[in-house]
Amino acid sequence: MRKQTRFVAYLSILAMLVGSLQSTQAQAVTYRVDPVHSFIIFRVKHLNTGFAYGRFNTFSGTMVVDERNPANSSIELEIDANSVDTGNSQRDDHLRNPDFFNTRQFPKITFKSTRVRKINDTTVEVQGNLTMRGVTRPITARVTYTGKGRNQRGQEIIGFETTFTIRRSQFNINYGLNGGLADEVRVTFAVEGIRQ
Amino acid sequence: MSVILESALTAGLAALAAGVFWLLGWRLRRAHALLSALGVSVGFAVLYWRVQGRPDFPPIDATQWVFWHALLALPLGWLAGIAPAYRWLWVWGALLGVLWLFVPPLRPLVESGFWSLTAGVAYIVGFALATWLLMALTAPLGEEGGLATPFLIALLGGVSAGVLFYGAKSASLAQLSGTLGAVVGVGVPLAFLRSFTIGRGAVALAMLLFMSLWTTALGFAQLTLGQLVVLYLLALTPALRLLPAMQRLSPAVRFALPLAIVLVVGGAAVGMTYSAYMAQSGDTYSY
Repeated sequence: MRKQTRFVAYLSILAMLVGSLQSTQAQAVTYRVDPVHSFIIFRVKHLNTGFAYGRFNTFSGTMVVDERNPANSSIELEIDANSVDTGNSQRDDHLRNPDFFNTRQFPKITFKSTRVRKINDTTVEVQGNLTMRGVTRPITARVTYTGKGRNQRGQEIIGFETTFTIRRSQFNINYGLNGGLADEVRVTFAVEGIRQ
Repeated sequence: MSVILESALTAGLAALAAGVFWLLGWRLRRAHALLSALGVSVGFAVLYWRVQGRPDFPPIDATQWVFWHALLALPLGWLAGIAPAYRWLWVWGALLGVLWLFVPPLRPLVESGFWSLTAGVAYIVGFALATWLLMALTAPLGEEGGLATPFLIALLGGVSAGVLFYGAKSASLAQLSGTLGAVVGVGVPLAFLRSFTIGRGAVALAMLLFMSLWTTALGFAQLTLGQLVVLYLLALTPALRLLPAMQRLSPAVRFALPLAIVLVVGGAAVGMTYSAYMAQSGDTYSY
């Protein structure tokens, strides 16, 4: 009888342990990037005069957000390079060809985070690898939490935004560097994720 | 430095590199076959480096193979130069060499699914055979004295630049093509030197590089197969001068006829691609 009682007690402890483990795992929530309410915008200086803006219209990705332990968070993003849109079809064609993205050989631009570090309650520093035109380079971006709520379907949603600058020459995109277009490209990624 | 000044400096440096080797070849007749090809090879490599920056090896980006073709195809240019003495070596060496050169730059189009395997193999073999034929038919032009050959090839570079700019919508491929024409064009002033010829190797290698640029533009930019065929036929046009019927005509007519064809057909090709480019949308985009 005593043996049986002890066995039940062990089982209870085990159940509690499993339960607490599950609740820890539940802190890391997976969100799917909502392409309708997310934006990837870039700008580059033209002829050292004005800024030209563009965006990518098609992309997908997932974010794992752990609010208690941001180091467990991560993001993966895949962008269709052919979806580049600057509001001018001729310029978009030019951007798709070998002068810029060479989309027939490299149809995807990808980002995969490698490390997330908490800066303060609303900001994290995300390090990761950006692959564009076959070249992978590490980048670092400060990402700001912009809000949380529910969409019209009642799904839980979360928002972040980041702006960072890359040098396109590091990705073998060298066209027009001699005064035509700046090397520095400022990228803004505003994302809304839907909880899975 | 302004873009125009930069482009002029690039073309000048590339042409200077080619000119130095051709002058050496003019003086050292025994090394003429090698120096003739070396002029185009080094001239184009200098040009590419200044326009596109330092390429990787092996290239991650398939479009960088154009640069490596200038160096790796040097033995083919040299073979073209010694072809009269070693005909079979030239025929088989050039054919296998060109096939080998065209696989790496076009293979990524099969790997990315842009071409099916069958289409990819057909394109690669077709382009290699067409390039080999173009090199074989035009190389003897390099033995002709006078300014006709370098002038016609320089003009081909200009036409090609226009079609690549408006048709393929690639400014850098257009710039490479136009400046390749300028590199060969340095043979025009040198043609006034007594018994100067640019050599078979220079012509063969220049034609291979034009084909490399055009196939790159077809595969990775927006050059159509029709536009490529027109450029290919224009590249063959100077070889009309070698036809027995043409050989009987005066030098002026032998020069004027292919010149007229390149000007009229090439001008029409540039005009049509420009019209199509402007008609694409109401807006204008000047790169």
